[in-house]
Amino acid sequence: MTVVDLALIAGPAIVVIGLVGHLLVGDLLRRIVALNVASGGVMMVLLAIAARGEAPDPVPQALVLTGIVIMAAVTGVALALARRVDAVTDESEGR
Amino acid sequence: MSLEIGVFDGLLLAGVVLSAVVAVLVPRRTSAVAVFLVFGLLLALLWARLDAPDIALAEAVLGGGVTGALLVDALASKQAEVPRRRSWALATGIIAGIIAFLGMGWVVSRLSEPSGQLPLLVDDHIGGSGAEHPVTAVLLNFRSFDTLLEIAVVMTAVFAATAVSDRSWTRTLSASGELRIIAVVLLPVVSLLAVWMLVAGTTRPGGAFQAGAMVGAGLVIAHLTGTRRTSTRGPWGDALIVLGLVVFILLAFSTAVGGAGWLVLGESWASTAILAVEAVLAVSIGVGLARIFLANRREPGEAR
Amino acid sequence: MNYPALLPALVLLPLLLAAVTALVPRGSRRTAGAAAASTTGALGIGVVALIGGGSWELALAGWEAPLGITLRADGTSTAFLALVAVVGTAVTVYAAAEPSLAGGPDFWPLWLVLWAGLNGVVVAGDLFTIYVMLELVTIAAVALVALGGRSAASPALRYLFVGVVGSLLFLLAVALVYAETGTLDLPQATAALEPGPVLTSILALTLLGMGTKMALFPLHAWLPVAHPAAPAAVSAVLSALVIKAGVIVLWRIWFGIADGTAAVQVLGVAAGIAGAVAVFWGGAMALRSSRLKPIVAYSTVAQVGYFAIVLSLADGSAAGWSGGVILVLAHGLAKAAMFLAAGTLAFAYGTDRLSRLHGAISHTPMTVAALAIAGISLAGLPPTFGFVAKWQLLVATIEQGEWWWIGVLLLGGLLTFGYTAAMVRATFNRPGDDEVPAPYPVPAILAVVPFILAIASVAFGVFSAGLVDLLAEDPTARGRP
Repeated sequence: MTVVDLALIAGPAIVVIGLVGHLLVGDLLRRIVALNVASGGVMMVLLAIAARGEAPDPVPQALVLTGIVIMAAVTGVALALARRVDAVTDESEGR
Repeated sequence: MSLEIGVFDGLLLAGVVLSAVVAVLVPRRTSAVAVFLVFGLLLALLWARLDAPDIALAEAVLGGGVTGALLVDALASKQAEVPRRRSWALATGIIAGIIAFLGMGWVVSRLSEPSGQLPLLVDDHIGGSGAEHPVTAVLLNFRSFDTLLEIAVVMTAVFAATAVSDRSWTRTLSASGELRIIAVVLLPVVSLLAVWMLVAGTTRPGGAFQAGAMVGAGLVIAHLTGTRRTSTRGPWGDALIVLGLVVFILLAFSTAVGGAGWLVLGESWASTAILAVEAVLAVSIGVGLARIFLANRREPGEAR
Repeated sequence: MNYPALLPALVLLPLLLAAVTALVPRGSRRTAGAAAASTTGALGIGVVALIGGGSWELALAGWEAPLGITLRADGTSTAFLALVAVVGTAVTVYAAAEPSLAGGPDFWPLWLVLWAGLNGVVVAGDLFTIYVMLELVTIAAVALVALGGRSAASPALRYLFVGVVGSLLFLLAVALVYAETGTLDLPQATAALEPGPVLTSILALTLLGMGTKMALFPLHAWLPVAHPAAPAAVSAVLSALVIKAGVIVLWRIWFGIADGTAAVQVLGVAAGIAGAVAVFWGGAMALRSSRLKPIVAYSTVAQVGYFAIVLSLADGSAAGWSGGVILVLAHGLAKAAMFLAAGTLAFAYGTDRLSRLHGAISHTPMTVAALAIAGISLAGLPPTFGFVAKWQLLVATIEQGEWWWIGVLLLGGLLTFGYTAAMVRATFNRPGDDEVPAPYPVPAILAVVPFILAIASVAFGVFSAGLVDLLAEDPTARGRP
């Protein structure tokens, strides 16, 4: 058992934790956090795959770099929307 | 690779999984975000352990830094009362999750041995790619089209966050003079780091995205401390946000019309082109991320 | 002239135009955006005409797969590109005519990005490129929904969550493909994948990921919320085109790598059953709705069911494959016509409640005609495009001896007919009615555009024999080699 094998198993576990959490949690900010956790798990799978060979495989590493940037962008949009949702909810609560 | 598992690895992985669980489960927003930041930090360590220093750097700067700043800033809003999910939904979710995990775990244990052909191809062709660092060669030469699309994603996210915002950030600048001393110290350091990451990226871990995140961090610090001259809120900011994509696409068109084909970089000028593209990408990413932060930002009077 | 070199322009030109349009001052952005989008439409139609019945391939950056990224266009891609170009141009004209139905000046850059992403999903030959294109489509589409006003923020966020979950599941599938085959190129991966648990889980993850993105029952709950919340022009694009991005990715991967093992067959049957339930559920919910836009949205949930049923029908059947692709085209045209017509009526009456629309048939008969004709095409009555699609599927059903799908096809058609009739009936003049709602005058263009799309969904049916043959020759139509 190497750290790569272990990461290959832990990756899917984190994806599942993140996705199940995302579906079960109600608070918008926490749902966004859970989504980021799941994304971390997918990246872990890709990087474990990259580390299986003799030398690290740069292709999945490049994919992960792209994936992280995309996820940061998505998080920005999600938070902007969540902020607006919270503002609308506040108003409808009769402030 | 000699990656036999040690005590450190075991603790690290356990820490990653544990922090993931806690970040998802802990009911308070503040705690969830705090634990998530720890999760990101542990991931960065794990990436370094998995021979991916580039990703470790990106995770620390982007995942921890930018996403972290956005999340922390969002904490200012009041946590809405959300009805608790029913216990049967919880049970179903957990059981489905365990089944999915067991299935996936079984599947990854059945993966074939890596053929290692693609890394060899990268090795063979890296000489003429214009980048000495393999990840940079993949991102800016072999698979440059994906990187172009990625900067398009960032640009679109900026458009989206701007369209959704109430545009209060275009009017007011929350200057707090006493903080300006921080800017005086931090801004030069951040700028230097950004340039270093950019230049280092051709030979070593680092590159446009990490540098861009540093630029973004610098601009956010500048905004928070009220450094007026670095404001990127006006038309200039808009121009800088689209600059990276425009330059990249113009390069693509010019290689298609006057060169050997779409995005084909000549060996003699590939390294210059890559560094130039990376520089504009870093600027666009930085200004873009800062804009997303601003669009999300609550002005002080608005805090609840 | 090396025509395949035009393929990247399908993505890069609209992206460049999006960046430039974003810099145009908000006041004059409509003109610039409309010009840019028309250019994109003209490029799309030009490329479709040049491809004709051929198939194009282009390696980007001078590197062949697996090192580089390849773009491809076959008969199916050509059909999708044509749909995107036609609906895209129609929506552009409609949005330019009335800014309030598009969501204001922010619409244009986002719409151009969305168009680039849709073209890109269709021509991408690399799995990771497909992932990035899908993210581009998701973010642009979500932002466009959010243009529907303050109340649209919540549906938009839900849509974003769904889109990202779908993308992550798909990315996991892509990771498995790469781990197993060492390539991200779809044809190369298809050739290298061996039957086994890895292949099955790749299919399952893709089905789940794309099923989420295309709102396949029971993952559909977000659609009837998100689609109606958007501005009318955006609703049309979401339903006619964005859903199809998930469909084409699912089909390409499924028909590329699905094999005859029991586990894969179970997945196919599960998709088929989900599709059949979707047809009934979506149809029934559409019948129960009292507003135009939710009816049209639930109708999409029902029609997505057919796209899933195709998975269990088309394996190795050319009729099933061409039926599926034509169904996508017919649905795209008809649903764009319906949403635009619904938007026009909502614009005229200030609401899309069925109870407030009486008299619309004499106020704007062309709009109501568009609704009716589009509904007939969706229901699959001859001689419409929808009929050709359903007929092909029927042939495939009989070829495969899967008789029970005939019942689904027929009952689904009846339900479609039912809710179309309900929509049209609501616009009739009530005899002895004192309280006729006073509508705003409708600019001619807002009635003409949906009408032309609806006519197209009939007319293409009359001239579709050549298309059926073209699609039947597609490599994917023959299934796994």
